Amino acid sequence: MKKLINIIKANNLFFKIFIVMLISVVMISISITFSTIRMSSDLFMERYSITNTKVISQITEQFDEFSFSVVSTYVKVDENGVIKGLLQGDKDTAIQKSQYFYQMKRHMERIYSEVDPNEANMIIMSPDHDVFNMNYVSWPVEPNELANHPVTEKMRRNPDEIIYQFDASSLTNRVPMVIASKALVDRASDEIYGYLYISIRENDLKDFYEGYTGEGNNIFLLNSSGKIISSDRQNMIGVDSPELMEHVENLDKSSDEYHNIEVFGRNQVLMAEYLPGLDMYLVNLVDREFLRKNVIDPKEIITISIIIVLAAVFIIFLILRKMTVSISNLVSQISDMARYKFSKPLEETGGYESKKIAEAFNYMLNEMHDYMEILLSTQEKQRKAELEAVQHQINPHFIYNTLASIKFMVKQEQKENAFHTIDAFISLLQSALGDIDETVSVEQEVKNLKNYVLINQARYGDRIKVNYLIFPDCLSYRLPKLVLQPFIENAFFHAFTEKKTGYIQILIAEKDQQLVCEIIDNGDGMIQDKYAAKNKRQLFSGIGVKNVHERIQLLYGKKYGVVITSAPDKGTKVKVTLPIIQN
Amino acid sequence: MGKKIWLFIVVLLTTFLLAACGGGNSEESSSGDASETTADGATKIVAWAWDPNFNIAALNLASENYNGDTEIELEVIENAQDDIVQKLNTGLSSGTMKGMPNLVLIEDQRAQSFLQSYPDAFYPIGDYFNPEDFADYKLAPTSLEGEQYGLPFDTGATGFFYRTDYLEEAGYTHDDLVDLTWAEFVEIAKDVKEQTGHAMLALDPNDLGILRIMMQTTGTWYTTEDGTINLADNEPLKRALEHYKELMDNDLVKLVSDWSQYLAAFNSGDVASVPAGNWIAPSIEAEESQSGLWAVAPIPRLDMEGAVNASNHGGSSWYVLNIDGKEAAAEFLGNTFGSNVDFYQSLLTDVGAIGTYIPASEGDAYQFENEFFGGQKVIYDISQWMEEIPQVDYGMNTYGIEDIISAELQQYLNGKSLEDMLADAQAQAEAQFK
Repeated sequence: MKKLINIIKANNLFFKIFIVMLISVVMISISITFSTIRMSSDLFMERYSITNTKVISQITEQFDEFSFSVVSTYVKVDENGVIKGLLQGDKDTAIQKSQYFYQMKRHMERIYSEVDPNEANMIIMSPDHDVFNMNYVSWPVEPNELANHPVTEKMRRNPDEIIYQFDASSLTNRVPMVIASKALVDRASDEIYGYLYISIRENDLKDFYEGYTGEGNNIFLLNSSGKIISSDRQNMIGVDSPELMEHVENLDKSSDEYHNIEVFGRNQVLMAEYLPGLDMYLVNLVDREFLRKNVIDPKEIITISIIIVLAAVFIIFLILRKMTVSISNLVSQISDMARYKFSKPLEETGGYESKKIAEAFNYMLNEMHDYMEILLSTQEKQRKAELEAVQHQINPHFIYNTLASIKFMVKQEQKENAFHTIDAFISLLQSALGDIDETVSVEQEVKNLKNYVLINQARYGDRIKVNYLIFPDCLSYRLPKLVLQPFIENAFFHAFTEKKTGYIQILIAEKDQQLVCEIIDNGDGMIQDKYAAKNKRQLFSGIGVKNVHERIQLLYGKKYGVVITSAPDKGTKVKVTLPIIQN
Repeated sequence: MGKKIWLFIVVLLTTFLLAACGGGNSEESSSGDASETTADGATKIVAWAWDPNFNIAALNLASENYNGDTEIELEVIENAQDDIVQKLNTGLSSGTMKGMPNLVLIEDQRAQSFLQSYPDAFYPIGDYFNPEDFADYKLAPTSLEGEQYGLPFDTGATGFFYRTDYLEEAGYTHDDLVDLTWAEFVEIAKDVKEQTGHAMLALDPNDLGILRIMMQTTGTWYTTEDGTINLADNEPLKRALEHYKELMDNDLVKLVSDWSQYLAAFNSGDVASVPAGNWIAPSIEAEESQSGLWAVAPIPRLDMEGAVNASNHGGSSWYVLNIDGKEAAAEFLGNTFGSNVDFYQSLLTDVGAIGTYIPASEGDAYQFENEFFGGQKVIYDISQWMEEIPQVDYGMNTYGIEDIISAELQQYLNGKSLEDMLADAQAQAEAQFK
């Protein structure tokens, strides 16, 4: 968990941008996908409804043609004097009957050949129940049953109307069919002289519209009482559906092309047309869900969207990662800068932007380094110049005092003493002023120290003894000029103010690849931090104790320098560490 | 690195576009005429026939017995025979063959008119069976110019089916009814009418089958073998017309106006007899309540020299139309009606159809004693009469001539003289068919 948080923190920028991008891409895709599906299905429905309205009007035309052909058949039968004569005439003998049957059939055949469509059957029944059936296969009719059937009864009651009825009873052998019937009435006597039936099997009626239907796109023929008398949905034939009838009537009253309704448990588009000739409604139901599922295929759209989203996210991931990782790298490198003392340049990797940033940063860093170097070397030079200036400077009091001491020696005729002192003084001056080298050999330094000590002892007596312990192999090593003298001077003049006698030990040895010089006295000692403040005035040269440490570090680095340890009444120990410098 | 990423994106986008474009593969739909391959790989064959008790039942039985290599799904469409004739004429003369069936049953008396009028419409099926296995008299009407087009189905051998109870009531036994002449038949009809009040037979004034039955007992036809129209001087036809008129004049006939009424006439017990092709037997048997009340005698003959008590009525053969699926249809016929002896046995017992396939003409089924006909060996009897049927060349114009005759017949019934009537008919027929 912690690890995860760390990863997130480390890639903070990446995650921020990535999440924003991810959310936007997904949101955009989802909204586009759904609006596409919705828009296309709406558009499709619209187009589909328009097409279907046209289809319906075409089917309507076929039904109109059929009802027209029923009417014209009736008119032809009605106008046919021979048929009327035959139906009304005598047919007592077999010969008369034979004539009657023969002629009826001939005349009916002529009319029947014009009945459209040909699958329709035409039957004429006389009042005596003689049946003339033009297509007994289509409707094998039983004369007595037909005569007493409600179909015929209804015709007797309404002799002036063409009546369309649906029947699937035993009369039609349970074959669903639509029967148009009309009584043949003698205008003069108002008597019915025959019955005309034009039947069409539901199966053949289906041919009017079947080519236009399909799954989810159904057509129903609805009679005025709401019974479905024909449909491409076989199981709906003969079903009473007041529900559908109500919707159809609503649509008929409005001027809309179609209605969206809920019927038969499905969400459907309803289109309907009234067939005035048949007093029926032609109803088209289109299942919205079904169409949406099958025609528009949202699966495909969604799949494409998902693929695009995944691809986009993947690409964004790659690009973002490439960009942010290099920036994060830069950031971590920059925050690490201090650790490497600003010496390590940034890696110039990653994208264009981070490369440029790294380049600029590195350039700046380089410039800064250069500048710093210049500054440092200038400072060092200045320092050196200062040091040089002070080390070449001998305190005039020292010369004056020494010369005054020598004068006394000469006056007291300590000839030998004076000679030694002058000799030491000369060589000390020679070494301090004459030698322009910065460093001197240990041997020379020790000689100088001895000269200095000699002069001091000549002046102040030898109550302070000085011992030298120099390892011979150190004699040839070199060390900065006058680096030990200030500590000797310090010991002479400050360490023995209370104790009047003591000694100073000078030790020079090689230790751990370093040249170690120790100046130990057994004088008064001191409290440590007072030490530095005390020595402001230098008696011999301009170089003070304080300077020595700085000077060494300046010359040889932090490793080297001066360490002073002191305790009151016990004395002071000064340890000077120097690199080993061979001649 | 940067270039690679861009290349990758381009490739990805291209893939999407291609995938999106390729998504809309529409299913190809194929449409054919009558023959289609159904979902389970069977070839669909459409057949037209007209009698659900007889030839349609035979087709369904054949479909059950079929065991050929090609998977076949048979769809039988029932149409009235007149409708089939009309639809075939319409379809074949238009030349498109649209909506035509693969398999159609055609009456032998009409076959030549189709074969000669539409030479390329039918598919020669001689290679799918051996024509010599079939009765000789069936081959002439079903072939043309040496090619066998039809596979013979049933024999049209006629019988005089009668109600034993009615004829007994009128005083006749079976022996009295064997080897009658049509003149005797008319006399018997008068007695039946008198004794029982029932008409002797049902007739449709638009169907002169009874005339053809009478005529063929003497081996004559409306045309001679060379196609000459033979009406005016056709003595057997004259005799037949006289008998017809006598039946009418004496009110011995129940007139019907279509086939279903014709069937109803004997199923309802209205008429005492049915002189017709043996294929009517299944329709008679359809009325089970009349079981045991029927018998069959040889068809009456015309009282003339050389006349026999055997004739032909109907009788039809299968034809394959020259459209897609013809091979499958021919294979179907060859495998069933063309070669399967066992199938013919069940055809006899289950449907009652007497085929003309010689290898199947003997067997237990022929000895079957039909309880409906009082234990009579109906099939055996008919197969005996079948052998005596006088050979006739039906020619092309049987039904065309009959149309003319049926119109003239009405005038003859109304009192026109027989000579005038036949002379007029001869003149009309010659004008129409020469």
